[in-house]
Amino acid sequence: MLKSIFPTLGRLRFVVQVLMLVFTVYGAALVGHYAAEKITGALPALSCAYDMQNAAYCVLIPTQHQVHHRIGEGLVRAQEFTFAIVLPLVFTVLTFFAFFFLLGKTFCGWICPLGTLQELLGRIGRRFHIGPRRLEAGDLVENRKVRPVKWLMLLVLVFLLPLLAGLGIAPHSLGNPYCDVCPSRIATTLLTGNTEQLALRVDDGVSFALGAAANALIGFMLVGALAIRQPFCRICPMLAFNALFQRLSPMRLAKPVRHANCGQCTICAEACPMDIREVATEQGRRAYHEDCTLCGRCVEFCPQDGTLSLKWGPFKLFSSRREYYKNRVKGELPDGTVKPMKFVRREATAANP
Amino acid sequence: MKAPFCGRLALLAALSFPGHWAAANHAGHDAPAHERHGAPAQAPATNAVAKEAVPAGARPRHEAKIWTRLPNIQTAGRGERNTVKLKVFGMDATELTVYAPGGPAERMRVSYPLGAEGASISSAAPGMGNYHWVIARGETPEEVRVASTAWYFSNPGDAPTRLLREIRHELEIIPQPLPREHASYRESEKWRFLVRWQGQALPRQAVHLETELGTRMSVLTDEQGVATVVFPRDQRPNPAPAKEHARPPRSKFVLAAEKEEGGRRYITAFNYQYGPDPDRQRDLAWGAGFAVLGMVAALPLLRRRQIAAAGEKPNA
Repeated sequence: MLKSIFPTLGRLRFVVQVLMLVFTVYGAALVGHYAAEKITGALPALSCAYDMQNAAYCVLIPTQHQVHHRIGEGLVRAQEFTFAIVLPLVFTVLTFFAFFFLLGKTFCGWICPLGTLQELLGRIGRRFHIGPRRLEAGDLVENRKVRPVKWLMLLVLVFLLPLLAGLGIAPHSLGNPYCDVCPSRIATTLLTGNTEQLALRVDDGVSFALGAAANALIGFMLVGALAIRQPFCRICPMLAFNALFQRLSPMRLAKPVRHANCGQCTICAEACPMDIREVATEQGRRAYHEDCTLCGRCVEFCPQDGTLSLKWGPFKLFSSRREYYKNRVKGELPDGTVKPMKFVRREATAANP
Repeated sequence: MKAPFCGRLALLAALSFPGHWAAANHAGHDAPAHERHGAPAQAPATNAVAKEAVPAGARPRHEAKIWTRLPNIQTAGRGERNTVKLKVFGMDATELTVYAPGGPAERMRVSYPLGAEGASISSAAPGMGNYHWVIARGETPEEVRVASTAWYFSNPGDAPTRLLREIRHELEIIPQPLPREHASYRESEKWRFLVRWQGQALPRQAVHLETELGTRMSVLTDEQGVATVVFPRDQRPNPAPAKEHARPPRSKFVLAAEKEEGGRRYITAFNYQYGPDPDRQRDLAWGAGFAVLGMVAALPLLRRRQIAAAGEKPNA
């Protein structure tokens, strides 16, 4: 029964993604105003807290606030730099880690509403034969040049600028700069019919500039996602935050040994929405790259039995299989291109003229 | 258009005597400029606190301005983290009672004696934040007055579902719901407030709204006892840009209901604050413009791929 509803891992993930998108954006209407608070408080990041109804928590918000108001201002007031000042930040990170321990980076590949939106747009793009464009030599810019951007986003926008704002060196309006440029803030609030976050603040130059950058970014993302798979995920500081802890979670991508064909067929890398070539060329820890979102597409599209698998601790959740691969590519190519739907006229028979 | 002569004289007089001007402005609630629905609030007769009003310039930083005669609870200063000093106005009360959303059982309901400076309240536990419900009650043989407000302590804590469900007094005004952490009451927005009498919804009950900025209006509860309040658009534009931890300007409001039963008058009030409509400082056209700019910048990605696709072989 379950197998007929979810014949592939990709179908299961798609259903989970859509359900999570609906839940994170409209969930409060289903579970109630305050119940939503309890649930969203238990997850590392959900529909943006700026929508003020559904979500209440994204780990990047308190991180910026605590660096800004606690650490920065604490230093300015020449307070003793005690554990009490750092404690809230530690708690924020630990709360995040409690969730992260369970599901690891599957948040990115299975739950994140912005990731789902980009993937839906990508599906539309493939359906209309747009793209996919790749971040690799010979197409767009090389992936290795883009990868450091997410770390810069995390360091500069989540830690450094809020700290400088708290110290009084940067203007106060740079207190939560990541939220100010985050496309999820705009996308998820727009999905609730709220245009407040799309509108730019015109009373403050810095806020205007940050808002303009955010709007240009989401505009670029909305169109770019038709051609590039997961364009924003590649520079998302949440991916970097997750990557910091990815070795600490039992949930992981496992590739204990290299098959003789590894690095030759590279179908798994082609299936990867983050264009991670290492999954084809490396093995062991290196195959589980910092950019991996644990979406599982590489495992689905690996034609070798047991070469790749998604594991939680010692338990194999899903392993690559040749038979599965053969069925999988009947409906969708590794790069996400959907095979055209065929409309075949049913032949008339004596029983059914 | 020229200002009338007497108007100019009044302006000159106001400039000459700023203290008088401030006092007149301060007492703005006596001459409501934004009166709506034609029904001025029925201010309770007794008002011992109002007589203690001091000119604005002489007020200490945290001294609350008297702008209503209805019972209300206002901040009188911040202390350590998770501590705030509150003061009661518009009624005589001896203690503040704070109800926590969670935490140790002995801290779920704590009473603080009210002094001349108010009372410093704190969250139920260092790690227990979210909304705490604060109440002051004053009784005479003729009258019962209840002032209530909510105070948000910034740590995470239990949602205030149970906090708002519990019945504590005869007549109560309960927000349905309280704004979430990143939300707030804002002008032009509709919010619902349940009026309860002995724990039961009270239909067709008049609820009066008074704001710090002078608006006075009344609404009636529906059959479910819910008063739907549209916050008045009476905020003044804030000319100062965001700097130095400036928060969006907030103004105070109080909602009150009154009922007589058995020869005794019950007055209950809920006060909180509301902010300006964010659209005052935002421009949707600019926002949409930059979003379109981003879209246009991404268009070449679509075009070039279609050319490149000609030489590619699909996999599988």
